[in-house]
Amino acid sequence: MWSGWRRLRRWALRLAGLGTLVVVWQTLSSLGYLNTLLFPPPSAVAATLIDLLRDGSLLENSWASIQRVLAGFAMASIVGIAFGILLGWSELASEVLKPIIEVIRPIPPIAWTPLAILWFGVGNSPSYFLVFIGAVFPVFVNTYVAVRGIEKSQINAALCLGARPMLILTDVIVPAALPMIFPGLRIALGVGWMCVVAAELIAAQSGLGYMIQQSRMMLMTSSVLAGMLTIGAIGYAANSLMLMLERRVMRWRSEAVS
Amino acid sequence: MASSAISIRGVSKRFAGRDDASGTLALARVDLEVRKGEVLMLLGPSGCGKSTLLNIIAGFLAPSEGEVLQDGALVSRPDPRRTVVFQDYALFPWKSVQENVEFGLKAKGVPKADRRRRAREVLRTVRLNGFEERYPHELSGGMKQRAAIARAIAVDPEVLLMDEPFGALDAQTRVLLQEELARISAETGMTIIFVTHSIDEAVFLGDRIVVMSARPGRIRELHDVSLSRPRLPDIRSDPEFRRLADGLWESLRKDWQHEASQVAAAV
Repeated sequence: MWSGWRRLRRWALRLAGLGTLVVVWQTLSSLGYLNTLLFPPPSAVAATLIDLLRDGSLLENSWASIQRVLAGFAMASIVGIAFGILLGWSELASEVLKPIIEVIRPIPPIAWTPLAILWFGVGNSPSYFLVFIGAVFPVFVNTYVAVRGIEKSQINAALCLGARPMLILTDVIVPAALPMIFPGLRIALGVGWMCVVAAELIAAQSGLGYMIQQSRMMLMTSSVLAGMLTIGAIGYAANSLMLMLERRVMRWRSEAVS
Repeated sequence: MASSAISIRGVSKRFAGRDDASGTLALARVDLEVRKGEVLMLLGPSGCGKSTLLNIIAGFLAPSEGEVLQDGALVSRPDPRRTVVFQDYALFPWKSVQENVEFGLKAKGVPKADRRRRAREVLRTVRLNGFEERYPHELSGGMKQRAAIARAIAVDPEVLLMDEPFGALDAQTRVLLQEELARISAETGMTIIFVTHSIDEAVFLGDRIVVMSARPGRIRELHDVSLSRPRLPDIRSDPEFRRLADGLWESLRKDWQHEASQVAAAV
């Protein structure tokens, strides 16, 4: 009963913040304080959103962006986790590969765009590549740190019980690292989403990034804003989905937290 | 000598130092025969190398010199014929109690149904039945250690190695678990090598007590405990118990005073 009220109150407060922003924005436009050509009011953005939904272009472009992120993110997850475990486990691999990774890691994904276009042209491929570049490092770093941090006594316990390397990998290392791998995946998905938009601004013929870039050229500011809002909403939804998945997979842990 | 479960022959361990090339000598020429079925206590101040010795017996560490044999065969790596109970339990928090206990059997390739049956049986032995589906974080420290003991004995090891297993528990739980272990060891007849800081624990559980001295760790004294088995709680008031405990206290007093003053100096 009380927790129900508290939840209601929390949601009311959240909506109040958002609502106030919209009302102030709309009012400033109506009173003529904002240049509606460059910064259209929420009503216009909402109308555009509805139009874009009706003609199907919003869904089409959203889907184009989403599937690019999924492809790049999937590759990044596999490579990031594999290398994180390899370097976290093997001192030799770590010594040899860590310097290479540490030099590439600080390069912002945007700086890879020219190469991506030269290598892959225009279309899906440069987007896959840029999402991959952006997403692989958060996954790698979290996995690496997690594997490095595994309690020695847990590995020893597994060894003295007769576990072979494969069983240690599947039953000890991976589950022990999961609580850190998951936040890494969540960050990676966020970065990947930013990267796909950046890639589409420059090197694609579809997607939300492409859509807002095209709208800018035709001075359709409300379409630009509608596209931006969609990007924000999908990013938020993706993050929430990952959080839900995280809680499900690590039930042994979330029980302790809740 | 045929009745030795573990033979430790001239074992030394030197850890590489950060600055000096010689490093630290943690163990110096330790010779020891561990008899089949006995409970052998390794007692000494911290830094005496008793945990290092246990890790070498387990096969986690290689000795710098000398060798460890189990039934005449050289120990070179961990093996389920010697399982370990750790001070920090080292349970797998993502596995239920049941799954933790089944782990060694799973590694052995035991079929699922047999695994389940054996794990339940062992959990009954350590009096954890009813907690099979719980996760480690839902258990008290004493229960975690019971689960860890169950996991270690589920694979039927010949030797159970215990590294200050009750060191992190409160005094009451500690005494209860000592009594449980005395019962389990009487029931199974397993060889147990048990590292401890506590004189009382050493006398209560041990058939023999090895007293080690620090820096470098070596064996200083070896005592036979002639108290009868099974060890029941009232044995603590036996005059022989007191005599042994007092003797060990006198012998170790200097080391502990030294340790305490070093801790004080470090603080």
